[in-house]
Amino acid sequence: MEKTCSGGWFKGVKNRLAREAERPLNLTRARYNQPYEIQSIETLDSAMTDFLFTLGCYEGQEVTVLSSLGENYVIHVKDARYSIDRALAQAIRI
Amino acid sequence: MRIALAGNPNSGKTTLFNSITGKIEHVGNWPGVTVARKEGEIKSVYNPSGETVQVVDLPGAYSMSPYTSEESITRDFVIEENPDVIVNIVDATSLSRSLFFTTQLLEIGIPVVVALNKSDLKSKKKLSIDSGLLSEVLGCPVVEVAAIEADGLKELVTVSRESLGRKLKAPFAGYDPGTATEEEVRQSDKERFSFVENLVSRVEGRKVESRRQTRQDALDRVVAHKVLGIPVFALILYSVFSISQNSVGPLVADYLVGWIDAFYGFVQGLMGSGVHPLFSALLLDGIIGGVGAIVGFLPLIMVLFFLLALLEDSGYMARVAVVMDPYFKKVGLSGRSIIPMVISTGCAIPGIMATRTIRDERQRRTTALLTPFMPCGAKLPVIALFAGVFFADAAWVGTAMYFLAIAVVVVGALIIRKITGDTSKSNYFIMELPEYRLPSLKRAFVAMVSQGKAFVMKAVTIILVSNALVHVMQTFTWRFQVVGEGMAQESILASLAGPVSWLMIPLGFGMWQLAAAAITGFIAKENVVGTLAVVFGITNFIDTEELVLVAGESQVAGVMGLTAVAALAYLIFNLFTPPCFAAIGAMNAELKSKRWLLGAIGFQLGMGYTLAYLVYQAGTLITTGSFGSGVLGGLAGIGLFAGTIVYLVRLRENEDLEVLGGVA
Repeated sequence: MEKTCSGGWFKGVKNRLAREAERPLNLTRARYNQPYEIQSIETLDSAMTDFLFTLGCYEGQEVTVLSSLGENYVIHVKDARYSIDRALAQAIRI
Repeated sequence: MRIALAGNPNSGKTTLFNSITGKIEHVGNWPGVTVARKEGEIKSVYNPSGETVQVVDLPGAYSMSPYTSEESITRDFVIEENPDVIVNIVDATSLSRSLFFTTQLLEIGIPVVVALNKSDLKSKKKLSIDSGLLSEVLGCPVVEVAAIEADGLKELVTVSRESLGRKLKAPFAGYDPGTATEEEVRQSDKERFSFVENLVSRVEGRKVESRRQTRQDALDRVVAHKVLGIPVFALILYSVFSISQNSVGPLVADYLVGWIDAFYGFVQGLMGSGVHPLFSALLLDGIIGGVGAIVGFLPLIMVLFFLLALLEDSGYMARVAVVMDPYFKKVGLSGRSIIPMVISTGCAIPGIMATRTIRDERQRRTTALLTPFMPCGAKLPVIALFAGVFFADAAWVGTAMYFLAIAVVVVGALIIRKITGDTSKSNYFIMELPEYRLPSLKRAFVAMVSQGKAFVMKAVTIILVSNALVHVMQTFTWRFQVVGEGMAQESILASLAGPVSWLMIPLGFGMWQLAAAAITGFIAKENVVGTLAVVFGITNFIDTEELVLVAGESQVAGVMGLTAVAALAYLIFNLFTPPCFAAIGAMNAELKSKRWLLGAIGFQLGMGYTLAYLVYQAGTLITTGSFGSGVLGGLAGIGLFAGTIVYLVRLRENEDLEVLGGVA
């Protein structure tokens, strides 16, 4: 899956929080109502990446998380609101 | 000349289309309502010239590179069918996303007119747009409209007609689609976005930032919440069904049935005694009685359609998809699968077509297979009839059928995933959240009338013919002699339905009359009620004096000779076996595979049979202390169904093992 997983990440019992801190920042960890710049989109489905692009959701663009509703995140991109699931929120690196 | 309407999902294309053509196509406040192109002619009010102008409404698309199948309809149409003018509907409240598609449309070479829709919302959002400057930069006319209020439409049509043949220069020259590499496309599209961004910053004045949280977001935190959203959805569904079936619906039905009764009497009096009794029986009991039995339920259905239209107009549907997504994912579907299912509570055919917005093929097919389990408007009379006759109009019967349908969908999805394997590589979910708005009573009324009209049309055509045939087949023997007194089994109908009724003994209703009604139900589900009315000689089910849905419960129940448990089993059998032929046709079109279609019909038959069997046998065991008749025979049938499923699951698992073995 992610490249970071291979480098001895799971050797030894590491504190979960420490791992969180080193993991690249994605939308699941964004603060609400604060605009972030998208660093990259790391989906497993290139068609989804292309689709996000057509919504204006790609690297360099601004994204804001408005709220999270359990499994779903309400995001704001280019004057429109979308609800995305956790997997997609994790794919959007900020 | 021909005008194409293109634009982002939920920008209001179909609303505009309905306004300028006077048609009544399905609209809703959520992305992906329109899944196929619709054509119509512009009304003369908006087109004083008198020359016919065709308008083509297309499904929404975010760009010229399609993501789901319905998006590709838009691209294919615009590129291949060369409309004379493209009217690009742009949501004035989200310019910065919408204009991306606009700049792509401007490159095609067909004259474009931008319709700046939802202009009525601008002041509410403290938004201003310099449409003159926008028009200048884009190099095409920009007309401000509010499709919902029918504002600016005349000007839009005039400008569109004047644009015929106009040359245009694309404001942004993108890549050459013939030669560009993927990298070049990406780079060019990024530049396109920055061009749009720059343009928007010049033409748009925003006083309130759109990313600010609003009251709508606060509402969403409850309505679209993973846990809280479920009871909210259940409550809303319950209200819709109980209003249509238990309070407002029957109240209106009462008047209607009075008229039908009067009509029956009128025709009876008109014919007098001079008409041959066979003919008068055919006309009165076969046609007026059968059709009347169904038309009597029209108000219930119209109230249901009215409420569903309000729900779709409010923007709530997109939230339902969000709420259901995590749960549906667990059974191998997606949150988008709920939308076809809610639409199917009106009619399964548009419901099945709505599966096109689901990208994953397996999920799409599974949804198309399961969607017809939802009780549609045509099944409503059947539910209402049985709830009335056997359960004293208990409100729980109707609601229970809807929740049972949801349970069947969930279990069905699990079984199908076991058979097909979960082939989806990634299962991301994204749904645009439209703004909530107060649903328009007028629009819901228009939708209701148009659906009600369709229902009546069906009743006086297909159902009328079916009832007449049923009546004739019941009246005559194979030698075309009138069936003698007490010799009902000799009739054509009885001899055809008889063998089938044997299969239904384990379900508690092994009578040829009931089998015949279930069979005619495949032509149209309303036929179940019509045929029952004809074969049992009941003229109408709704009482006009008392405000109860069904007259003479005990009498009707006595004629049918069913216990309450068997009646429930029969109702369930009719609801959960395959839908009507028209819906099967729609399934065929969407599944695009004979194997899937056969599997789907087999699965639906097996499901209906199994549920009816379980309800009848378990219910009889509880109420009488012993199993009903044919318990072992039915078990054999269900064993066959279960065995086939297990076999298919094993088959797939072995295939998986072989694949794994091959890799190793």
